[in-house]
Amino acid sequence: MASPYAETEALLIARAQKGDRDAFGELVRHHNPGVVNVVYRMCGDVELAEDAAQDAFIRAWLNLPSFRPDTSLRNWIYRIAVNAALDVLRREPKTPLVDLETFSMPDSIAGPETVLLEKERAFAVQRAILSLTEANRSVLTLREYGGLSYQEIAATLNIPLGTVMSRLNYARDRLKEVLAPQLMDMEIANG
Amino acid sequence: MVKHITPWLNAYLDGELSAAQLRQVEKHLAECDECQAELEQMRSLSALLHETSPADEFLPTERFVANLTLNLPRQPAQSQPRKALEIGWWLIPVAALGMWLFFQITFSLSSVLSTASETGLLGSGLSWLQGNPPQTRWFSMAMDLFGGQFGLTGKFILSALNDLSLFLREMTSHFIWQALFATLYLGWLASWWRRQSNQAIPASAVSQS
Repeated sequence: MASPYAETEALLIARAQKGDRDAFGELVRHHNPGVVNVVYRMCGDVELAEDAAQDAFIRAWLNLPSFRPDTSLRNWIYRIAVNAALDVLRREPKTPLVDLETFSMPDSIAGPETVLLEKERAFAVQRAILSLTEANRSVLTLREYGGLSYQEIAATLNIPLGTVMSRLNYARDRLKEVLAPQLMDMEIANG
Repeated sequence: MVKHITPWLNAYLDGELSAAQLRQVEKHLAECDECQAELEQMRSLSALLHETSPADEFLPTERFVANLTLNLPRQPAQSQPRKALEIGWWLIPVAALGMWLFFQITFSLSSVLSTASETGLLGSGLSWLQGNPPQTRWFSMAMDLFGGQFGLTGKFILSALNDLSLFLREMTSHFIWQALFATLYLGWLASWWRRQSNQAIPASAVSQS
């Protein structure tokens, strides 16, 4: 049975396809956090990520009349978002610098030294993600931060299922290698 | 030698294994310390990747939506030719099925009628259907040149060969028709499946660089 949101989404899509901006705003409200998270991990920079997200939603709006409602809007938007993020990165030739100040840590009662260490760890994570090739990064971010299934990633990026699996394996192996010191720290901290 | 299941661990962690594969992996994990350690490391990596989020730095969703809806350009209306193409695309299988049915009924009906007419079941009402018995070119030539020299058995064998040739010719034309419709229909099905698995995104949406 379709979830209440899925039913609402179908109505919102139909309205937005007829040019209803409020309906489109509702769709954006629902998908924005996921899209922003994915494009941020693709770009590694908050400003670039916001540009990419805005770009993606504008492209989605312009192409919405040709969207087929029998397919997944989320996959469609994520595909546009990943491409928008890659386009933003190509327009900005500088390597996005991840700012240590960017990261907010969940444990605010920790001492300043712990906070700094955690921020450094977050910095290392984002740099490690950015060190992946665009193809591997797209698959990893859609899985880890978009929460898409392998099948959905394959449909979103228009690649075979086997390629999704091999790229994901490669990306995770590479991250394990690059983030080995951080993983060891975590292991020590967790006893 | 123990065969490790390292290539399956990603799919196991992501909940992408079938029930049978899942049982196999869990059985192996219960016995293999090396794969267990590998799995733990992958879990740690996943935890590390999700440990931080720059969410506080982003524009709050409400402001993002407000800014975006204000800046949205005019949405292009779906053009009439595109709608017509869309309708035409859906009509292909219907037309293919309709044509197939039409030809099947026509062929079946004509062969029933001609058989009934040949056997005299319809009396003289449909005598125009009968005409001369169908003959292949080689049969006519053989009969013209050597007809007088053949005995009754020879004529019977030649006539049977003539019938066989005609039957094969008809079967071939039937087969070609059927293959043509099947190709058209299967081609459409394949393209439908491709559209289903991959929502077509106009080039303008995918890349603007």
